[in-house]
Order: sequence, then C-alpha cells, then structure tokens
Amino acid sequence: MSGGALVLGEVRGGRLARASAEAVTVARRLVGPAGSGTVTGLVLAGAPAAAASELARTGVDRVLAVSDPTFDAFHASRTAAVAAAVATERSAAHVVVGGTAAGRELVGRLAARWDAAAVTGVVDLVPDGDRGFRAVRTVFSGRAFEEVRLEGPRAVWGTHPLAFAAPPPGPEAPVEARAISGGPSPVPGTAVGFEAASNASGPDLAEATVVVSGGRGLRAPENFHLVEELAGALGGAVGASRAVTDAGWRPTSYQVGQTGRTVTPQLYVAVGISGAIQHLVGMVGSRTIVAINSDPNAPIFKVADYGVVGDLFQIVPALTAEVRKVRGA
Amino acid sequence: MEILVLVKAVPDPEARLRPNAAGTAPDLDGVKWVLAGYDESAVEQALLLREAVPDSHVRALAVGPAPRTEEVLRAALALGCDGATWVEPPADLAIDPLLAARALAAAGRRSPFQLVLVGKQAMDDEAGLVGPAVAEHLAVPDFGPVVDLRWDAAGGRFRFARAVEGGLERLEAPPPIVVALQQAWNDPRTAKLQNVLRSRRAPIEKVPWPEVAAALGDRRARSVRTAFRLPPPRSGAKMIEYSTPEEAAQKLVRALREEARTFP
Ligand SMILES: Cc1cc2nc3c(=O)[nH]c(=O)nc-3n(C[C@H](O)[C@H](O)[C@H](O)COP(=O)(O)OP(=O)(O)OC[C@H]3O[C@@H](n4cnc5c(N)ncnc54)[C@H](O)[C@@H]3O)c2cc1C
Ligand SMILES: Nc1ncnc2c1ncn2[C@@H]1O[C@H](COP(=O)(O)O)[C@@H](O)[C@H]1O
Repeated sequence: MSGGALVLGEVRGGRLARASAEAVTVARRLVGPAGSGTVTGLVLAGAPAAAASELARTGVDRVLAVSDPTFDAFHASRTAAVAAAVATERSAAHVVVGGTAAGRELVGRLAARWDAAAVTGVVDLVPDGDRGFRAVRTVFSGRAFEEVRLEGPRAVWGTHPLAFAAPPPGPEAPVEARAISGGPSPVPGTAVGFEAASNASGPDLAEATVVVSGGRGLRAPENFHLVEELAGALGGAVGASRAVTDAGWRPTSYQVGQTGRTVTPQLYVAVGISGAIQHLVGMVGSRTIVAINSDPNAPIFKVADYGVVGDLFQIVPALTAEVRKVRGA
Repeated sequence: MEILVLVKAVPDPEARLRPNAAGTAPDLDGVKWVLAGYDESAVEQALLLREAVPDSHVRALAVGPAPRTEEVLRAALALGCDGATWVEPPADLAIDPLLAARALAAAGRRSPFQLVLVGKQAMDDEAGLVGPAVAEHLAVPDFGPVVDLRWDAAGGRFRFARAVEGGLERLEAPPPIVVALQQAWNDPRTAKLQNVLRSRRAPIEKVPWPEVAAALGDRRARSVRTAFRLPPPRSGAKMIEYSTPEEAAQKLVRALREEARTFP
C-alpha cells in the first residue's frame, strides 16, 4: 500500500486533540519519506480555525477546514461520511484517526463506509517489505501483543493514545476552507448535558501517562487523598481496585481491571493493592510498574518493576514530598 | 421493544494465555469459550430494559463457528434472552471484525429492532470495530462507550451517557440506535441452574448462509494476524532497600528517573 493519507483533526475545547497530532506521526510513516506521499488534515467543527492551524503545523501537507456547527455535537455517522468522501476525492490509501473516545467510534464506521480494512489501538508500526507496515497492538486486556497486516487498497488506522509522539510544531502548511455537501445522515443524538467526572481535575485514566491506583490497603475512603496527592504531584490520573469501588469509596469509573478500565501508562503506581489477576489484566501493559505494599508476598510484586515493602501510610506521603521536591512543585 | 444484543464467544479471560508454536496466534487448545466482559454487560442491559419496558423481547445474535458460538448463544438464553440467532460461516472462511459486522447487519435487518446492543470491544481482539460498522451498514446512529441506558417512554427516546474524556456526556436519541456498552456499568446476573438446563433445549434460529454471503460479496477478511506474543516477562520487582520512608522515596524516584526513565 502506498498513496496519500488523511488525518482527522479532532477539536476539543477549540484546540486540536493531542491524539490527532499523534496520528500525524503515524500518517507520515505510512506515506513514506517526505515527498513520496502527501498527508492531508481534515478538521470538521463549528469554529475550526485554531485547531486547523495547529494541525497545519504538525507536518501535514495541507489542511482542509470545514466550518459547520453541527459537527460540534457527537456525530460519528456524519463525520465518517465526510471523511470517506474526502479520502476518496484525494485518492488517499490511508486514513489515520487518533485514539480518543470519538476516534475509536469513528474507525469502524468509516471503514464500513469507505469499504476499507481497519485496525484500532495501534501502538507501533513495523516495516512489512513492499506491503508497507504491519500494526502492533495489544489484545486480551494488554496481556499480549499482536501484529496485523491490512490487505487491500484502503486502510483506516486508529492509534492508541500516547503510543506515538506528537510532532513538534513546525512551519504552517496551507489551510483551505471547504464547504461540504454531506448527504442525508441518520438522525443524531441530542446532547443534553455533561457531568465532569469527579476525577476530572487530572488527565483521563485512559490517556494519562501516569496512573496511581489505590486499593483496600488504604483502609478507609478518607485516606484516599494520599493516592490523589501522589497522582497530583506526578501529574497523573487516579485509579482504584475493585475492592475500593465495590465498597463505594470511589465510583466505578475509577476501577482498573478485568471489569473496569484497561490502562497502559508510562508509569503505574499500585498503592495497597494485592495484585489479583482481575486487577493485573487491566494494568500489566503499563511500561513501568511500582508497587507499595506491606506484604512482601503480595502477587503485585510479580508484575512490578520496583517494589517497596512497607506501610503505605508512611511511604506514600514521603514519596509525594520527594516527587514535589524533584519536580520543583 | 425489540432488542438485539450481539454476543461473541471469547477465550475465558482467566485462562492462561500462550502463543502457538509458530508465534502467529494464541494457542487456544482446550480453552473454554465464554460470554465475557462487555458482552455480559450488554446482555444485562438488554434484560434490564426488557424488565422496564412492557412487551419487549431480547434476541441474541452471533456470527462464528461451532461449537463455541452455539455455546455462547445458549449462555445468553440461560441469562434470559428470549431468542437466539446464529450465523455460521463456512469453516474455511476467516472472519475479521469488519466482515463479522457485515454478516451481523445482514442477519439483523431480517426483522425490525429499536435497539442493537454491543460490547464496546470484544475481550479478545479489543477491536471496537463491530458496533460502529454494524450501525453504518444498518444506516442508524451509534453511540459508545455508553453507560446508564434508559428508555424514556413519554418522550419516545433513549437516554444515556457516553463515557468520554473527562466525564459523562448525557444524550438522548430516538430509536433505532446501536449502543456500544462500557463494561462494569451494571452488575451482570448469573444464570440460574434451571435456566441453564432449559437453554440447552431451546431452539436457535440459523440464518441460511447464502443470505449472508450475498451481503459480503467477494470480500474477505482484510486484517490478518501475522504475529502473537506475550510481553517480555518481568523479572520480578527490584525491591527498594531502605531504613526510613524518606530514603525509600529518594531511591525510588532516582530509579524511575535514571534507570526506568519513566519519571514524568
Ligand atoms: C469476575 C471478577 C472480576 C473482577 N474484576 C476486578 C477488576 O476489574 N479490578 C480489580 O481491581 N479487581 C477485580 N476483581 C476483584 C479482585 O479479585 C480482587 O478482589 C481485588 O482486586 C482486590 O482489591 P485490593 O487489592 O484493593 O484488595 P486486597 O486484595 O484486600 O489487597 C489489599 C492489599 O493492601 C495491602 N495493605 C494493607 N495494609 C497496608 C498498608 N498499611 N500499607 C501497604 N499495603 C497494605 C495488603 O497487603 C494487600 O495486599 C474481580 C473479581 C472477580 C471475581
Ligand atoms: N462474531 C461476532 N458475533 C456477534 N457479535 C460480535 C461478534 N464480534 C463482535 N461482536 C460484538 O461487537 C463487540 C465489539 O467487538 P470487536 O469489534 O471485535 O471488538 C463485541 O463486544 C460484541 O458485542
């Protein structure tokens, strides 16, 4: 597969979502060294200008900006229809979509619409001879990796958040305002409200580079602030074991594991968590794992890279203080 | 309300995972196939809606080979689904999520529905492709990952929330829609023994393959797995030796900065 690529620029709060810049990195690799294939960015929003200009500085060859307020609402079917039409018009061989909640939904819809092969959650690309690249992705809750080859003339690639570096801002490529003639689309849903998650002050669990999770070892909900302060010092998100969510100390949106969220941060810190297999499957894909537990035989130490055997009520405050000191905060 | 819930047979998530000898696929010899994770939550959601909305029916639908696909359909029946529909592709036809989606849509459109429930992603391939692709083929909107789905009878619409970055987006939408469920939102029930026994004799509707093949045309699975491997084993934690909590903290931070290079 060769030919150009289209990158969808997702707009969040008027700005370009970081995942979309990461997608440009993938698109550049797919089309080959500079000059051999073009990368087009596409931004669909009520006010696309700021995000379009950010996208134009990521190393794409041009950006198409469609200004239409209906795209500000969640609208996978319509976005997929427009993206498929633009990809066809530009004879793109690839569409790359960043790993956000909306991006994940778009990949299947777009692939069906554009009659393309597709893969989601791509964490790496490996050269595949004259076929281009194979996608590396995690499966089975991060417990295994697979490599996937996409066949046929068209492919949609969905990236895993944070797996690829966003390009540093460079010179701005041309931004072209476009009108769309989107055909009839299914009746969308109507947004009626937004509830910020109670852990929304930090990054979202799935996107965080650092996750600090607390378990039953914290003994009571009023001690959970120890975990939150460490996460805050590290600029990370807060997670929890099921023992914690079951007990109602924290909502289920915090739960990491088989029946909760799967996280793959650069750094995962497990505080007072025993390491039951149902918890492990949600976090073993993390790059570096730190465990703090008073029981030297806790199974969490089997998957951890660094272990501290000790009382979390002493270790965690000391760690938070040290992190603050080192990060100068 | 007619509810369709798409279920996939996946290897028991608690079973040990290992690659086959060639390193191209998981070794699934002797593995137990189950209805797991997100799909359990989807079935539970379907049953909760049926309990809340008079005159509702829940049908489980699956594409896949014998015997595992029949087994998960029976598991869905044992949990309380009213009917089950099975699409069994020819044994030599490889199925990827997008091909499965075409087949599922072909089977799904044979009868009217107001709601199609799927898992946000399957426990094994974690593709998250099938729900949105089915919705595109059925030309209905899709929403995911969804929690807290309810039927507003007075307004004639569904009310639900999408779990997005930073919080919950509350939405409402009229039927028909496809909804991809976030897992662990509800607390899936377990089947009662008598229902398990009854489900063994329940009829399963089979869709004639030629009907589905017409929707696939000459398409084949276009995503091909070429390698499957486990992450390199972690050699066991490096234990931080210390005499005071402050010393433990310093040593740990130093190790994260200088060795692991994962200090933010
Ligand atoms: C079907 C199923 C699905 C499940 N899904 C999930 C899931 O998604 N996520 C999940 O997390 N679990 C899940 N579980 C539950 C899982 O099996 C465990 O019960 C749970 O993870 C235990 O949580 P915990 O480690 O916080 O508690 P515990 O197992 O009670 O561990 C507490 C730990 O804290 C340590 N500790 C105590 N005091 C201190 C102290 N002062 N200082 C330091 N350490 C201390 C103890 O040594 C112990 O290791 C599931 C279970 C089932 C059956
Ligand atoms: N072969 C299949 N038969 C029925 N439903 C499926 C099948 N494959 C996937 N699904 C549904 O689609 C969801 C997402 O699957 P996937 O796109 O493979 O991650 C699953 O949770 C199921 O609800």
